[in-house]
Amino acid sequence: MSIIKKVVLAPMDPVHDIGLKMIRRGLEEAGHITWLYPPDYSPQEIIRGIMEHQADTVLISRTLGYGVEEVLARFVDLLDAAGLRERVKIAVGGMAIRPELAAELGFDGGFGPGTTVEETVAFVEGREYIPARCMNKHNRYNLIGDYRYEFKNRPIKGLLDQITAQILDWSKERTSPGVQRALLRRQILTDESQGESTACHKKEYASLCDDIVSKYYTSGCLHPQTRKLGIEELAAISRYVEQTRSRMNPENIRHTRQKPGVFVQYGTGCPSMDIAHIKASEAWGADGVVHFDPSWGARSEGFLEGYLTHHEDGSVITPENLKCIKESLQESTLWQVRAHRGVNTAETVLLAGNAGADLTKINIAYGCLGAGTDPERMIVDGVQAIKFAAQYGMPFDVVTNEELSGVPAYKAFAGMLIVSNLSLALGAMPILQPLFCYSPEVMINGNMSDNYIDFNVAKILALRNIINAPIWAGAPIGFLTQTEERVQSSVSTGLHAALAASLGVEAISIASSDEAYSGGPIAAASRIDTLKAVKEAFRFLGTATIEPTASARQWAEHLEAGIEQVLRQVLEVGDFAQALQQGVLGSREEGAYPGRAGAGTVYRV
Amino acid sequence: MANGLDKVMDALDIETFIVAKDEDEAIRTIRQIMTDMGLRDIDVVYCKHLGPGARVRARGYVFRAGDMYGWLKEAQQ
Repeated sequence: MSIIKKVVLAPMDPVHDIGLKMIRRGLEEAGHITWLYPPDYSPQEIIRGIMEHQADTVLISRTLGYGVEEVLARFVDLLDAAGLRERVKIAVGGMAIRPELAAELGFDGGFGPGTTVEETVAFVEGREYIPARCMNKHNRYNLIGDYRYEFKNRPIKGLLDQITAQILDWSKERTSPGVQRALLRRQILTDESQGESTACHKKEYASLCDDIVSKYYTSGCLHPQTRKLGIEELAAISRYVEQTRSRMNPENIRHTRQKPGVFVQYGTGCPSMDIAHIKASEAWGADGVVHFDPSWGARSEGFLEGYLTHHEDGSVITPENLKCIKESLQESTLWQVRAHRGVNTAETVLLAGNAGADLTKINIAYGCLGAGTDPERMIVDGVQAIKFAAQYGMPFDVVTNEELSGVPAYKAFAGMLIVSNLSLALGAMPILQPLFCYSPEVMINGNMSDNYIDFNVAKILALRNIINAPIWAGAPIGFLTQTEERVQSSVSTGLHAALAASLGVEAISIASSDEAYSGGPIAAASRIDTLKAVKEAFRFLGTATIEPTASARQWAEHLEAGIEQVLRQVLEVGDFAQALQQGVLGSREEGAYPGRAGAGTVYRV
Repeated sequence: MANGLDKVMDALDIETFIVAKDEDEAIRTIRQIMTDMGLRDIDVVYCKHLGPGARVRARGYVFRAGDMYGWLKEAQQ
């Protein structure tokens, strides 16, 4: 405890004294003696008070800018004339005040907008102010928590177990080029770590790739949309990370709640630009980042190698690219590499796990119905991917992106629950990822004609009625509600974040304010827009909750019943791949088209 | 500072209100402003005209993914 100070606080202003009241509380908590005067005392009255109380510090506040210099200069002159200036420390603060102005007028301190109570207390106590933000600790967010995956809806659990048994039985004697490549990659990584030759396995790997990828291994030709990053570029980004890291002091995006964790997506095409965007997002409070790869990466058999930049959206997955992104991350940042949709799903999970990713993304149903992969192939590769995820102890979300194609939520959720239950059977940790979006289904049915709350709440209620599992609202929240106008886009993201927080979900993925802009790449500044909006939304909500209308509960019941009905139909078909083909989990009329990538490549072991 | 634009991570956005009779005029005007500022890779991210003019957000990409970024030069030295 420092020496007790006697402090006069005087709002030299007609009405505003809120700032001084906050400072008085801080000073009294620190043990100092204070006198807070009413607004609009004259300089003479304040000086009389200083003499009467034998105060050693005076804090003046002045909010209004008009005539501020004359009023303050007169106060200092009168203080001087009263013989108090030498022994009394004086400071002035308020919206119109800048430190330079205060010094010019003869004050010892000047506090402008944004000054903290702690800073003022430090001034009174005559010690150096160490900003609290320097002591920020951005803790690593725990996504899985204590969830035990207990099913509350027993009939649904019974159906899921039977479907899981069918899938495991069907897939146990089947494999694919994707699975074989993943197993070879694992061997290659092992060989490399032991300093052994990889040539033989790489030759075999190349034989299982599409021509465009195979050429890299046989003749060094790169994919036409990629180029290798030079040594100098790599050294520069490494130094950039080092320099940035020394200045990093990430904001805490949450307010009084512990949830949700906030994820942002990256995938500019270039690992260096990705890293730059990641560092900016981390600084503004992102808990995690999600790697987006190019769409062709899901449809071309095989992965390239090396540090590669891509000329269009989506950053190429290679062991080296993943490594350099991982090395750039703050220790507290969670890292997700998506693997959910294509013919490289198994190898993606393997590479992600090997590179130290915290999370991945797998959904067999979406991979088939919304992302163009053949159902049989997606099942075989998906099962292997889930096994890898389990081996690496890497949780993954099961996202229902097929909702964006027009698949009703209850069908998409049935697919999500099938994959989740399958994952639990394989020892993995799935995270349910329903979309918080303005999907075609709700556009057509009018479920969001009044508000964006009820149907999103219904989804969460329905899932929670079925299973006790972590929920990560995706992806990104508010999808299709955002426009190209950045304020609207940011506000919409912020409001959906508040809803997600109110529901207590574990995590959210947010877009940038460029979400609806398709004319060019996402700009770093647009990522900051929505992180700021989310932070403000969390501040606004605190621990309060958002109350939906009665529709939410009714729709939740419909969703739950619909899910059960779909699961019965899947079971009746008796073959998950056939169920996907036949539209049980989303039909062509609804907008789901079973994919053809990898068709005919599954074979019996 | 040799070139301030080298410090822009990727894009420079200009937001303002253009006095214009319609959206086309506002877009032409903001594009002209961006060009006059020396920006080349230009797009109008948002433009909405109501009454006296248009709220606009225009963007000039300084660096796109895969370019040699100016802000990496310092780190390189």
